[in-house]
Order: sequence, then structure tokens, then C-alpha cells
Amino acid sequence: MPQKEVTIPVPAKGGSNKEEDKKDNKDTEEKNTTTNTTTKDNKKDKKKDKKEETLSPEDEKLKNDLELLVERSRDEKEEIALAALEALKTEIRSSTSSMTSVPKPLKFLRNHYSTLVDIYKNSKEGKAKTSLADILSVLAMANGNDERDTLKYKLLGSGEAIASWGHEYVKHLATEIGVEYDIKKEENQSVEDLLKLVDEIVPFQMTHNAEPEACDLLLEVEQLSKIFQYIDENNYSRVCLYLFKCSYYVPGPDDINILKVCVEIYIKMKQYPDALRVAMKISDPELITEIFKLVENNKSILQQLGFLVARQKIVPDNFNYDSISDIINNSKLSEYFMNLATDLDIREPKLPEEIFQSHLDSTSAIADSARMNLASSFVNAFVNAGFGKDKLMTAEEDTKWWFKNRELGILSTVASTGMVVLWDIDGGLTKIDKFLYSQEKHCSNGALMAIGMLTSGIRSEMDPALSLLAEHINSSNTGTRISAIFGLGLAYAGTQRQDLMSLLSPCLDDDKEKMEFIGIVGLALGLIFIGSCDPELSTLFVQTLIQRGTAASESHARFLHLGLGLLYLGKQDAAELALETLKAIEGKGGEYARLTVEACAYAGTGNVLKVQNMLHFCSDGQENPHHGLAVLSIALIAMGEELGSDMCLRMFDHLLQKGNVHIKRAIPLALGLLSPSNPRIAIMDILSKLSHDNDPEVAQGAILSLGLIGAGTNNARIGGMLRALAVFYGKDVHLFFVRIAQGLLHLGKGTMTINPYHSDRTLMSPVAVGGLLALLHAGLDIKNILSTQSHYLFFSIVCSMYPRMLMTLDEDLKPLPVSVRVGQSVDIVGLAGKPKTITGFQTHTTPVLLGYNERAELATDDYIPLTNILEGIVILKPNPNASVTSPLASKKN
Amino acid sequence: MGNNQSQGQGDKGEKKDQPKYQPPPPPTQFGKKKKRRGAETSTKLPVITPHSKCKLKQLKLERIKDYLLMEQEFLQNYDLNQPKVDENSKEQADEKIIEELRGDPLTVGNLEEIIDDNHAIVSSTVGPEHYVRIMSFVDKSKLYLGATVLLNNKTLSVVGVIDGEVDPMVNVMKVEKAPTESYSDIGGLEAQVQEMKEAIELPLTHPELYEEIGIKPPKGVILYGEPGTGKTLLAKAVANQTSATFLRVVGSELIQKYLGDGPKLVRELFRVADECAPSIVFIDEIDAVGTKRYDSQSGGEREIQRTMLELLNQLDGFDARTDVKVIMATNRIETLDPALIRPGRIDRKIEFPLPDIKTKRKIFEIHTAKMNLSEDVNLEEFVMSKDDLSGADIKAICTESGLLALRERRMRVTHTDFKKAKEKVLYRKTAGAPEGLYM
Repeated sequence: MPQKEVTIPVPAKGGSNKEEDKKDNKDTEEKNTTTNTTTKDNKKDKKKDKKEETLSPEDEKLKNDLELLVERSRDEKEEIALAALEALKTEIRSSTSSMTSVPKPLKFLRNHYSTLVDIYKNSKEGKAKTSLADILSVLAMANGNDERDTLKYKLLGSGEAIASWGHEYVKHLATEIGVEYDIKKEENQSVEDLLKLVDEIVPFQMTHNAEPEACDLLLEVEQLSKIFQYIDENNYSRVCLYLFKCSYYVPGPDDINILKVCVEIYIKMKQYPDALRVAMKISDPELITEIFKLVENNKSILQQLGFLVARQKIVPDNFNYDSISDIINNSKLSEYFMNLATDLDIREPKLPEEIFQSHLDSTSAIADSARMNLASSFVNAFVNAGFGKDKLMTAEEDTKWWFKNRELGILSTVASTGMVVLWDIDGGLTKIDKFLYSQEKHCSNGALMAIGMLTSGIRSEMDPALSLLAEHINSSNTGTRISAIFGLGLAYAGTQRQDLMSLLSPCLDDDKEKMEFIGIVGLALGLIFIGSCDPELSTLFVQTLIQRGTAASESHARFLHLGLGLLYLGKQDAAELALETLKAIEGKGGEYARLTVEACAYAGTGNVLKVQNMLHFCSDGQENPHHGLAVLSIALIAMGEELGSDMCLRMFDHLLQKGNVHIKRAIPLALGLLSPSNPRIAIMDILSKLSHDNDPEVAQGAILSLGLIGAGTNNARIGGMLRALAVFYGKDVHLFFVRIAQGLLHLGKGTMTINPYHSDRTLMSPVAVGGLLALLHAGLDIKNILSTQSHYLFFSIVCSMYPRMLMTLDEDLKPLPVSVRVGQSVDIVGLAGKPKTITGFQTHTTPVLLGYNERAELATDDYIPLTNILEGIVILKPNPNASVTSPLASKKN
Repeated sequence: MGNNQSQGQGDKGEKKDQPKYQPPPPPTQFGKKKKRRGAETSTKLPVITPHSKCKLKQLKLERIKDYLLMEQEFLQNYDLNQPKVDENSKEQADEKIIEELRGDPLTVGNLEEIIDDNHAIVSSTVGPEHYVRIMSFVDKSKLYLGATVLLNNKTLSVVGVIDGEVDPMVNVMKVEKAPTESYSDIGGLEAQVQEMKEAIELPLTHPELYEEIGIKPPKGVILYGEPGTGKTLLAKAVANQTSATFLRVVGSELIQKYLGDGPKLVRELFRVADECAPSIVFIDEIDAVGTKRYDSQSGGEREIQRTMLELLNQLDGFDARTDVKVIMATNRIETLDPALIRPGRIDRKIEFPLPDIKTKRKIFEIHTAKMNLSEDVNLEEFVMSKDDLSGADIKAICTESGLLALRERRMRVTHTDFKKAKEKVLYRKTAGAPEGLYM
């Protein structure tokens, strides 16, 4: 550990020698006082002798030799001087140093360093002088002052190959160049000479397994693009990995530059999927299109790229992707998912009761209440999500389940059908159809929402959602309008379709409607145009906020603010203008909007300054309901980067102890945002403690978050906790949330994730973040929104849902079962050699499920994957050089 | 439902709720010893990878520093913004009340079982077991089964926990005061000192060096050689140099009276070492427990073998420890169990040979450095002699000669003193056989 490093002083040779000297001196003094004067001289001599005798004879000879050479090097005759210097050089080079101490020649020459400097100053120009400079450069390394003499004399020296002095010297030189470069830049001096040296050092480092050091040096002197010349197939992956990790911690705009270099390296090495990943990380549409154009003629790679962008739910601009439109449109997602389900043998629908397992509890059966039925509807939807079949809503014999609900309950119950038939446009629409023409208003409204949910993330030429929902947008019934618009928001999240803007934006101006309606319109627009920075919409939003005046601080107005924030999701500086205009809005509404926009703009960046802003806001000592939002914002900014989220946990610890009730209520939600579908023990413990809090909203939030962190994992520990909570809160409103959490825990029977990060936890899917944020913002006012009127907002999670699978296909896109090893991933950045990327692995046959922190690798070399990160859907091609002895091959024989 | 009031009415709502329904208490969050570790992990700083020195590591460390600064700032701001209340007097009053509740004197008991949040079964050393209350001011996270607790004199309710469940035997092993011997007090043995540094000190101070090259640093070393060749001295020098926790044990200490106590002590020893990591464990005279295993009928010997088995497990068992280094010393390496000194447990075997002429000269110099020698002393004679002298023998010669001089009330030690001393020491060493008998 780094701290420990500091506490243990290195036993320095020099130090112990000095100590010895001191001791000797003390001894002599003591002796002097006790013995008579005649022996004094003797004693002193003896001491001196002794001091020299501590060196072994070989050392002494070496020392004398060196002294002689130093003496000779100031000789008048140039030949002699030159010979002496040559001898010195060989002496220094031939010394094999031990790890623990300074090489002996360097140690002995330390005392003569100043002499040599003097000689250098006085000597004539010529070969001897430059040669001496070389030696001084090396000696300066052991001298260890801040003068950067190593660099100075290196520049004055003969310019011989740096490699001749060894690694330690090169390392030292690289450090000094970094410092010198900064100083020279500040003083506007030329850095030509330094760069020339850099050009010499970098290839040396690259060829000697010191890629991180080479990258460091180039970053230091702002010449990263030079690295291209030295990239080959052996080192590119390590260089890119290192640079990629660095980009997390380098302040902007350098991080983007680093990532761009990464993209170019990958392109140069023909690693297009990796290049695309980094390009998506920068979210640069032109770069993405460029990469697609590069592989236009390679069908398999193109398909693989298609799967990647489909996961991110984007499309390449200005690129004709007809040949892979099935992939990019995600139209086959349902088919692949069903394939997975068949393979895992989990297609059989499950009843909510099988999840609750309440028959195991000793308490008497709880009577059916409307709320419990509603909860069952949600759980039914979550558990059977995507399977197309359940036992309540889509069963063959109509169970009339929705009759058991009341009013808005009916809305959510019917809407839940949409989640059951998720992604399956062909088969799903017919199942919803029967509800669409129901006389009961809530029922038909629910059907509208279900249609939206069904098509979430799927693009289709027929546009079933738009054609079915558009007519209801201007209906006379507010409920219908809300359902249709919310449905559209879910269906077209992240598509940025202009026709939807013209359709929806007039709704914002509707003065007759209440804030709930306006909020949902805002949310829908925000989801559709997520991360677009659309100026037109932005102005429209701000105008609406100003017009609505005091109403803008109502609870449902938060979705309008969130919609505005989503427009700038992850766009950092682009949000500055919007933030400025928002300052014009007085009061609480404006404050909420400003916090949301700022947090969204820096979502997932780990920007420390923004976190600090939010913290400042929290610690103003007042009772401000928006403190909760600030806490959520901290989590939003810090998520996705391991250090930040770890440190956030510590911070939340303090906030929990010191903060007011609003902060306390938001902390469970923030924890949920920090690690969705990633049940970390530490977070689980905190949430479990909070779920027993006296404040009902804290407890409910904690229960909901337990569901979020375990979403789709079937985690037994959380399951146990939730069952205990169900007994504990047997007769409370909390039970509703316990049920929902149980549903989330078994999301898709444990096959789905709601974590917005994918591709080895490097890429953030904006749409998924949007869905999560909608739910969590609703959770900020859990009492007025989630547990009473607007429980349909639970369905916003549908944007974040994705199968957590690894599926392998052959080049004809047919499923191809191969054996893979799945294990915990290991951070291998900057490690020597070829370290294992996973630990504690098990071997399975694809398709397999991957946990949050898990990686997969192929167990045999029969196939070559087209992408280096095995996640989602991966195309394999046969390996022509496969070893014959691989187990799979032998099995076939 | 009753929870639907707005926030302002919160207080009223609670009052209304209370008589209606009393939920069962939440499940106990304490009682397991392991739990303490879990709680600590959330406050621990994250581990930084890579270990090697590079910009990425620097950036990561800076990021952590930023967060820590923010934490500090938040805590400061919070204190500033808090309305000032006279906390001191209130605290004092509280303390007084707690003091009263505690009572005086306190009984010491053992926590046998935890019933629920507020009740437990305790036993005191003398009497029966009691079902008692746990006072609310007791830190429940520190309670675990088998803990030593303080009980009120009259009601016997739990009023406190006694920390430090570390075996006092282990605590004694910690070297609090560094020994005075340093590397400069070692004559010769340069190769041994270097090997020791590489295997013990460097992995603790510069772990990144090993990672850069892609190897795991050695876990421990064994020092072996003739008696008196400086094995313990070198260990002392290591203890003197390092600021890591230094635990020293003699092999025979690990042999205990009761069955199972020896292995328990070994476990405890390594647990403490792990807690205080980075640390160095020095086991002197390891042959006391580490001899080869053989079929033995005596229970005592089997117990010793079990102690060694525990030692084997701790050295390279299932749990990996990184920051605990082990030094062992023995003069009879050939009797040790091969499993004990296999690579992976003990990666380096450092031999301490009898000193050669050069080393002998150095040892003489070290020991005579502070002596008052007369002019005629010619140490070369002793250095060049053919006798097998170990470092300890040389020290004995020097001391003996000094004693001889003292006997005659001289202020100087003469050459004859040394001669006599040498004869005496060698006579003793060869156990009665006169010097030169076999030459």
C-alpha cells in the first residue's frame, strides 16, 4: 500500500555511513577526555586508519583507481584525459548494481563530483569535454539534487546512445525532461533539444517493456501522437489499455485527445471493434461513421460493429447500414434473448407468489389488497420481462387479473404486459391488442404505455409505436395523453427523431394541463433527445419553466427539469449556456433545474470539482429539500469510475451521520445509482441498516435500492433480506416497495442487468442512465410520486434493461455454442508480461450469463472472436491455426 | 395508510402510529466477530493498481487525495454551519449519567450468547450464567460471542466491552524498543545482508520493483549455520533498521502446556502480524518445533508436530498475506521438516559460514574498537591462526582478555592477555580436549 511505503524509510547506504561517522567522532571525543594527551594523536591516527579499513581491499583499490582516473582526466594532454575518461566510463558501466544499494563506482565518485564539474568548466572544447559531460550526467543521477544536472550534461554531452547507461539512467532522464519541459514552456523557451532526446528515449522504452513510461513521457511533453511510430502488434494493447485508463483521471480536454490517439492506434492495428468502443466513449459521431466506412467490405466485422452500436442504442450517421439493419435496429434482440432463455431452461413463466415465497413465512396469509395486487403486477412484469409469456396478463385463458385492480392500478397492470413481451414487436402487439380497445379508460391507456415499452430500444421501419400512439397525444383525456407520451418517450429514447419533436413540443405549451402532464412531456422529450444538446428544445424547456412560475416547484415539475438535464447528459461544457440562462429563474424550481443540468452534464465523468460543488451545497447547514438532489448528483457524477465510487461510499458515510433528513432520504437512492445490478457487500450492509430506519421514506428508498443493486442477479443474500423485510413490514406501505424490490431482484428471472455500463464497464449507455434517473428522481419524492399516483414511473427502468449475456454466433449469425471461461476480472493495466485477465473462473458453454465484475474468455483456440471484449453478442470465426489437441477438437474425434 | 402525512406532521404521525402496531425489532446486526472486518472495509481507502511507479498511479492517488480533501472540507463546513449549542456541559452531564449507570466497581464477565438487541446471556468467572440487559451506550459493534464484558456490580447488565482480544502472549512478542545492533555491527556477511535486504526489507518498502519484473516477492528466509555466526545478530539489525512491526518468538515458546494452545498461539501470532502489517516475524531456534515428522506415541511430541502443521499453514496456507515476512533461524537445518522449508514457504535459505580471514579481522576490529589495547597487541596473529573461530568465539576472546586485564588491575589489554584468553576459549569449546591435540 502506498501509505505504508512512506512510513518505512529505506535503509540508505549514505545515511548509515553518516551515523557511523558520528559514532566514531563521539568515541574519539570520549577517549580524548579519558586518556592522556600523548596517546591522543595515536588514537586519532588509528581512528582514521580504521575508517579507511572498513572498506574491503577490492573496494579500496577501486576507490584509488577512480581517484587516479579523476586526477588524470584533468591532464593537459588530451589523449591522456580521454583515455582516463574512457576508463571511467567502462568502470561505471561494468559495475553491476545490487537492488539495495548505489553502485560502488558511483558511490565513490560522489565526493569527486564537484571536482569533475570544475574540470569540465575549465577544460577546452573537444572530445574530452563532451565525454566528460556524459560521465557527469550519469554521476548527477546519484548526486540527487534538484538541479536536473543529468539532463543538463546529457544535452551538453556527445549524444551517444542513451541505452548504454541502463534503465535507471533512462528513467531518471525521463523524469527530468518532464520537469524541464514544464519550466521551459512557462518561460516560452524552445524545447527542440528536449524533444530530440524524447525521440531517442521513447523507442528505447517501447522496445524494453516499459510502455507505461513511454506514454508518461510523451504525455508529459504533449507529444502523444508520436507513439504511432513505435506501435506494433505486441505492444498496442498494453499502450491503449494504459492510455485509456489514464484518460479517466486526466483533466479535459486532454482526456479526449488521449482517447483519440487510442482510436487511431486501434484503427492502425485493425482492431475496429476496440476503436469503435473508444469512439463511442468520446461519443463522436464522425469518428464512428469513419470506422464503419473502413470496414464496409468486411461483412463479419461490420456485423460485429453493428452489435456494438446496438448495445449502445445508437446508429452511425451518414452511413448506409442496410446490410446490417437487423442488427443495428435490435430487431433480433428478442430472438437472441429467447434463445438464451431456452438454453437456460427458464422459459416457463413464474408467478409473483413463487418469488415472494410467503408460504414459508409463519405469518398468516395477507388478504388481497389493491396495493398488493398492483405490486404483484409489477413483480410479474419484472420477473417475466422479455419472455413473452406470463400467467397473469398474457395467459391463454383470460384470468381477468386486471379487474382485481383499481383505477390507476389498472393502468400500471395493463402496461406491465408491455414489459412481458419486451422487444418482441411481431408477437407482442397482438397480445396488447385486446386491451387497446377496452371500454375502461385506464385499461386502454395502459395498453398505450405497453406499446411504448414493448418497442423500447427497437427500431423498426413500420414504427408501430408512433403510428399507434400519435393519434392519442391530443386526446381530450389527460390520462390518455400522459400514457401515450410516456410510451413514446420509452419507445424512442435516444433516437433523436425530429418528427417526434414537432409532435411533442407543442404539448409543453398547453396551459390547461397540470404539472404532471408537463413533467411527463419533458421527461419524454429528454429521453428521446438524450445527450443531443438541442438548443431549440433547451430554450423551449426554459421558457416553460419561466411561464409556469411557482408551479415549477411542484413535485412533478422535477421531470421537466430532468428532461432538460438529459438533453445535456454527459456533454460537460456544452451545458454552460443552459446553466447561465437557468440562473435567471428564481426560487426553488430554478435551483432544482440548475443542479440537475449540472449533474447530468458531468454524469459519469468523476469530475472532482463538480462533486465538490454539490458537497458545498449540502453543507450549507440549512434544511433544503434539494439537498437530496445534490446527494444523488454526487453519485451520478462519480459513478462508473471505481475510485470515485469507492470514495463516494466514504463520503456518504459522513453525510449519513451529519446530514439532515433530506440528505438521509437521498442516500439510499444514490447508493442504488452507484452500483445498479452490482450487489456489493458494503453497500448491501448500509442499505440493510437503512431499511429499518424510523423515517418511512428513508426505509422505503433503502428497500427500493436493495432491489436496484441486486436487479437481475437473483442474489440470495438480498433475497433473504427482502423476505425478512416482508415479514417485518407485513402491514405497512413499505411492503409495496419490498415486493417491487423482490421483483427487480429477479428481473428477467435473473438474466438482465440495469447497469448502464457495458463493454467491460467502460461505456456508459446514455439511455440506460436516463431510465435510471427518471426512476430515482421519482424516488426523491417517494411518498407523492411512486407510492401513490405515478407508480407507472417504475416502468422507466425498461430503458436500462438489457440481457447480461454472452452469446456467440458463427459468421452466418447462427448460434454457436463454444466453451468459455467466466471469472472475476482482474485489473491488468501496467502489469508486466501476459497476466491473467480473470481469476477464479469456471468453464461454461455459451450462451452464458455474466455478472457485473465478470469477464469471459474462450477456453479453446478453435475460434477467434472478432472483438476482444467478450460481452453481449460476439461473432466467432474459425481459427486456421487451432491446436489439434484442444479438448473440444479431441471430443469431436 | 398512516404514513402518508407530509413531512411537517412527522412527529404527530409517529405518536399516532405507536400504539397501533409494534413491529418486531429488526434483526441483530452484531454478534459475529467477522462483522468487524466488513464494517471497516467501507471506510478503507481503495487499493491502487498498478503498483509500479507511473503517471496513472500518481493520477489515481491525486484523485483519492482530492476526495479526502473534500471530505475534510465537508466536515469542517458542517461544524461551522451547525448552530452553536453548549455541548460541553451537556456532554459532561451525559457522562455523569453514564458513570452512574455503570456503577463502581465493575464485574468482569464473558458474553455467552446474544438474545436480541438489548439482552444477552453472560457468565462471570465464579458463578452461574445470567440473562441481562445490554445498556444502550455500549458499542454493539464491538460485541461478539466470547468477548470479555464489563458488568454492573448489582444488576449485572452489560455496561462495557474490554478491547484487545489479542493474546497477551503475542503482545509480549512485539519488539517495542528497537535493538541497538545495526548493520554496521556485523562484520563481513555482506552477501547475507544483501540477500536479507532483498528478501525482507525491499518487498515491504518497494513492492513495485517486484511487480515490474512480474514476480511475487519472497515470503520468508531461513538463516542457518554454525552456532555463533551471527544469525540472531542479523535479525536484530533488521529489527533495528525497519519501522515495520517486528515480532520475535523463540521456537520453544510455541510449545504450550495444553493441547491446542500451541497452534492457537501461532494463529494468534500471525493474525496480529497481519493486523499490524507490514510486519516481520522472527522465529529463533525453529528446530524446537520444526523437526521432521515421524510416528510418535507421545502426546507431547504429536502436539509439537501439530504446532508445526499450523505454522506450515500460516506460512503458505489458504489465505494469502502479502505484507508479512518471516525470518527463521536454526543451527540444524538438516533436521527440519522438508515441508517447512520448501520454496513458497521459505523462499531463501541463507547460510552463515564460519568467518574467513577477512571477516575474522573485521570482527576483531569491531569488538576491539572500544577496548583499551596496549601497543604490543598484534591481532593479525589471531586472525591468521588456523583455529575454527566463530563470531561468538572472537567476542568471547576479546571479553576474556579484558577480564584477564581487569584481574591484574591493568588499564590496557596486552597481547598475552589475548593469547591466554584464546586458549581458554578454545579449551572450553572443544570440551576439555586440549588445543592442538588432533593437529
